[in-house]
Amino acid sequence: MRYAVLFIACVIGAILFAGCTQQTPSQTTQPEEIKIGVIVSMTGPASNVGKNMWQSAVVAADEINADGGVFIKEYNKKIPIRLIQGDDESTQQGGQKAVTKLITDDKVDILVGGYSSAVTSTYEQIVADHKVPFIVTGASSPIITHRTDIDTSYIFHHCPTTDSYGQYTTWFIDQVIRPAINAKFGFPDDRNLRVAIIYQDSPFGKGGLSAMNNTITNDKLKMEIVGQQSYKMGESDFRTVLTSIKATNPDVVYAVVFPNEMAQMLPQARRDVQMDTIFLVPENNDAPEYYKGIGNYGEYSIIESRFSPYTAPKGPIADAAMAFKNKFKDKWGAFPDMMGASTYEGIYIAAKVSENAGTLNKDAIRQALGTLSMPQMVEAMSDGTISFSKDFRESRFDLYMEQLIWDPTVNECRPVIVWPDALKDTSFVLPDWYKPGSA
Amino acid sequence: MGELEIFLQILFWGLYAGCIYILLATGLNLIFGVMKIVNFAHGEFLMVGAYVTATVFALTGLNPYVIILFSMVVLVAIGAAVERFCFRPILGTGKLNEIFLSLGLIYLFQNLAALIWTDKWQSIQSPYASISIPIGPLNVPLDYIIIIVVTAIILAGLHLFLKRSRTGRAMRATSQNRKGAMLVGIDVERMDVFSFSIGCALAAAAGTLWVVSGQVFNPYMGSIPAVKAFAIIILGGLGSIPGAIIGGLIYGVAENGAAFLLGGMWKDAVSFIILIVVLVVRPTGLFGESGE
Repeated sequence: MRYAVLFIACVIGAILFAGCTQQTPSQTTQPEEIKIGVIVSMTGPASNVGKNMWQSAVVAADEINADGGVFIKEYNKKIPIRLIQGDDESTQQGGQKAVTKLITDDKVDILVGGYSSAVTSTYEQIVADHKVPFIVTGASSPIITHRTDIDTSYIFHHCPTTDSYGQYTTWFIDQVIRPAINAKFGFPDDRNLRVAIIYQDSPFGKGGLSAMNNTITNDKLKMEIVGQQSYKMGESDFRTVLTSIKATNPDVVYAVVFPNEMAQMLPQARRDVQMDTIFLVPENNDAPEYYKGIGNYGEYSIIESRFSPYTAPKGPIADAAMAFKNKFKDKWGAFPDMMGASTYEGIYIAAKVSENAGTLNKDAIRQALGTLSMPQMVEAMSDGTISFSKDFRESRFDLYMEQLIWDPTVNECRPVIVWPDALKDTSFVLPDWYKPGSA
Repeated sequence: MGELEIFLQILFWGLYAGCIYILLATGLNLIFGVMKIVNFAHGEFLMVGAYVTATVFALTGLNPYVIILFSMVVLVAIGAAVERFCFRPILGTGKLNEIFLSLGLIYLFQNLAALIWTDKWQSIQSPYASISIPIGPLNVPLDYIIIIVVTAIILAGLHLFLKRSRTGRAMRATSQNRKGAMLVGIDVERMDVFSFSIGCALAAAAGTLWVVSGQVFNPYMGSIPAVKAFAIIILGGLGSIPGAIIGGLIYGVAENGAAFLLGGMWKDAVSFIILIVVLVVRPTGLFGESGE
């Protein structure tokens, strides 16, 4: 009996001791890693972009972990980063499934990534409901943080929006192409430039269309949109759409499209429909596959850009961009694209705000994102810093325009920066074969 | 551009698009006619055909229009294997099994292609890419004329095979009445292999013409053409080869006409509207017969 009482007392004592030790936060709540969920398209039609984003994230995490990780004041030590991949399968349902798993099963501290505005906007609701800080580095529609039907206060946008794409492209057309055409063909200065737009029927495409419209109207530019045609995402035969656009006699064509679409549209326009005009495309086309796909039909076309695999603006970020490209190439045997570049920076932003917050508390991280100010990395930022606007939590990039020139040594086109003056390598060239539009 | 020029241009693009659809739909219809199976994975054979042609082209530099024959032979072998090891064991066990099997094959082929060729989109350039030929008011790239001619030759060859050869007649007999064909001594399982293989070879030809025309390809390219091919064979009449040809042409021209008149967003919609109208007016399709 005495032994039994002693045994029970020991058991109770052990339980109490265990209970006490569980109360000690330093032993049970100290995380071994910072879990960053990277939501990307690893499968499906957008997988080439998604893999580039994932690979860029891995390069960033390797660099941060090589330095011991991120110092978190609450635990008074550096904690390594662990990336957890969420494959949205290039679909809305896949995105919802992947984000739900990252948040509820993997219990990530921060989310980074998101490609395709149509896909990303679908699972934003889940992110909002769980209040997980989300740094969007791929989806470019402004609706990502402008929408009001859900609480987007935990969502921060680190890639230019289609508003910026369209605005910079329109300014370039007005300041550079319009004067060049007027000078070459003896047109009066007040002649309205004829612009046609082909856009993907998606938030991305419609965003580019409305941005150009708004910029022309708000800035009272001497330009008119003479034709516009949309198409469904994933289309491969643009010949009829191009024939329709050609019939409007445009001076230039702005194509708000994905690279796999433009790699077909440009040869079809130049070869099949014989459009001797200048095509301008947004930055998502500045990828190695695009240069390979367009062949020599892309010569003299224009890409609005912020990070190119084959060039970089002179200045402070040139070396950092080159170092990133080299590290990426060493690890993955290819070049990073711009969605990769912003995702690379996205991981660094996640690390920096965790450090600034001094904790992995999600609300504290969200506040740290709101007050972030860190030096630009591999992409040129306005004011040279990465920070998010107070209104819609968007970072602001310095965009530039590239003209493609045929390089016989690599049998592909290569970009040269032609605008703005502060960044340009050379001047814009109106090719000999160019034919202006007419009313 | 004058109005006549635009009209002829749109008609020509419709004719070209129709060629790809016709080859894919004819193969699908041949398989359905003989085996009465619904194979949603048929678009994947187009994708494999495209990759085979592109790979041989990259390795040898041979004219892609010559490689089309090799690509068709490869797909004959793949088709025979798929028929023998996938569809034959479940033949007659219910349509649901066929549908789920073909859906599974879609993922299998897509993932295998991604494994072998990666899932990055690719394209090749025809050796005739820079040549155009003036036809009336149009200046038509030579490749499209070759594509139309090649399609016509393949269809003529198929017609002769089905009408004149002993095997072709046996396939038609199996298509018309499977039990009757068995009773007169036709090896219907052999006909299944032939029809499936020829159907796959036609898909390979469509895939080759797809890449030669400069369109990009990736492992996921087959899904949309397969859906359209199904719509075409329903429009033309299940099991009817002439129906597939006429249906493909209607589809190609209607899609492009709609894209010009109503905008690119209507391209797919108009084709399916035509399908609905035809089915309401003539449920068996344009060339289908009751009971088929």
